Amino acid sequence: MAGVVVKARFPRRRLVRIVAANLARLLFGAATRNWARNIGSTAPALISMALLLLMSGLIGLTAFTLHNLEVQQASQASLLHVYLRDGAPQPDVDALSSRLQADPRVARVEFVSKAEALARAQNTPGLNDIAQASESNPFPASLDVQVKSINDVGAIDALVRGETVVDPQQPTSYDQGAYQRLQAVLFGIAVAGLAFLGLLGFVAVTVTMNSVKAAIHSRRDEIGIMQLVGASRWMVRGPFVVEGAITGGVSGALAGLGTFGLAAAAIALGSESFVQFAPGITTTVAAVAAALVVAAGLALGSGSSLLTLRRHMES
Amino acid sequence: MRPTVHTRPIVELKSVSRAYGSRLAVDEVDLALHPGELTFLVGPSGAGKTTILRLINREIRPTKGEVKVDGIMAHAIKASRVAELRRRVGVVFQDYKLLPRLTAMENVAFGLQVADLRVSDEEARERALDALEAVGLGDRGKAFPNQLSGGQQQRVAIARAVVAQPPVLIADEPTGNLDQDTAWEIMDLFEDIAAWGTAVLVATHNVDIVTRLQRRVVTLVHGRLVRDQPAGQTGRMAWLASS
Repeated sequence: MAGVVVKARFPRRRLVRIVAANLARLLFGAATRNWARNIGSTAPALISMALLLLMSGLIGLTAFTLHNLEVQQASQASLLHVYLRDGAPQPDVDALSSRLQADPRVARVEFVSKAEALARAQNTPGLNDIAQASESNPFPASLDVQVKSINDVGAIDALVRGETVVDPQQPTSYDQGAYQRLQAVLFGIAVAGLAFLGLLGFVAVTVTMNSVKAAIHSRRDEIGIMQLVGASRWMVRGPFVVEGAITGGVSGALAGLGTFGLAAAAIALGSESFVQFAPGITTTVAAVAAALVVAAGLALGSGSSLLTLRRHMES
Repeated sequence: MRPTVHTRPIVELKSVSRAYGSRLAVDEVDLALHPGELTFLVGPSGAGKTTILRLINREIRPTKGEVKVDGIMAHAIKASRVAELRRRVGVVFQDYKLLPRLTAMENVAFGLQVADLRVSDEEARERALDALEAVGLGDRGKAFPNQLSGGQQQRVAIARAVVAQPPVLIADEPTGNLDQDTAWEIMDLFEDIAAWGTAVLVATHNVDIVTRLQRRVVTLVHGRLVRDQPAGQTGRMAWLASS
């Protein structure tokens, strides 16, 4: 009988195990050992990155708060309070309410009595003191008119000013340009915040790149040997990227803890008034912000390493 | 095993020139190395010996000409394929270049595993030990480089260079830091490696070894290949007068 070629099955599972073990040891194990050994030279990068990420986390939460405030203000700016004269006959008030409701530019109209206005003021920071100071109720009844477009608020204001049921001293809450001024202020804050973050980012990336550069320099013999024995480029560069990611991850974890801790403390200490000043900031939002800070740290650390390797390590 | 002249060359340099700025380090060199052949590359300092070795290992590209190593066009390959080429070329240096934090066996196994992730720890250890035994250091595997003599360190470096059984071995002044007796031991090793079928190219200043071994000698002067003497026909080293 002629010889039979027996094709042995390739031990794929064993091969995967071996490659994974080698990767873990040569890439992650080596990176962890080197990171721990070089912690002294990495510390400046770690601290500056942690500070940057902490500032980023806090600025991010502030930006989220400002965004919510802007949404809230936009909603309030299209809500026109039409203040009613004390003692205005209810049928006349109802008639005005019906006319406004019929206007296609108006979304809805709600009557707010003096008692309801007082209750609202008592829950609003700043107004509560006025409400407590006076023995009588100083807050007028009103028709709260939700206008569909913020651009039509002025026209509705002009429409109701001459009405007999409307308070002649303080007819409405309309303040021309208030919303635009608020938007300009928020835009300015956003630009300043981004510029500050950009500056901090530049400092952190520069410091990290220098620490990676120093690590490459101190291990140039090892790198040279790896290159000469035929290690692939990613095998040579991988440990440095992992080291950068470890630095970024540790910085991110520190900054994330700081961000979450400060936000949680502010929520706990500020109680009800915190919700007014920082709408939307909850423990969940703070936890998400902290997670994003950790992810940003990992990206920043590994990205800075990659950038340095491209510049300072040639095959 | 003596070199067989009829085998296809494993390394070929065709009209290769390499300039550093305005200075021509290698000028129109043609050279072919065959499997099983031990070749000495000699010449005065600055003649271009190291440049030839660096061209073969694709540490540098030629300014002009072609470099072919085991079928790979070294002058034209992309950076991403350089590792593939270097796995076919073992390298030995004058200063050994061992990692001081690793033992002799770990140094050899490290070279094997970073080049090929499919090699298990067990296999790497076995092959490293085999390579160390082949260079006469089977009992010093656990020693760190600073616990070994210069000759022993060079043996470890040779074990690392050949453990993956590359078809080409290049050595740059491998005996430069060693005494004459140790240098002879290292040369014996290179003869053994060539006998296994590896093309061995040794750049050296050691005239005594070159003349007494009577192997092929390629002489470079001012970057030009001025003489290519076949094995057994090594004459006087005229270049010595100018070195």
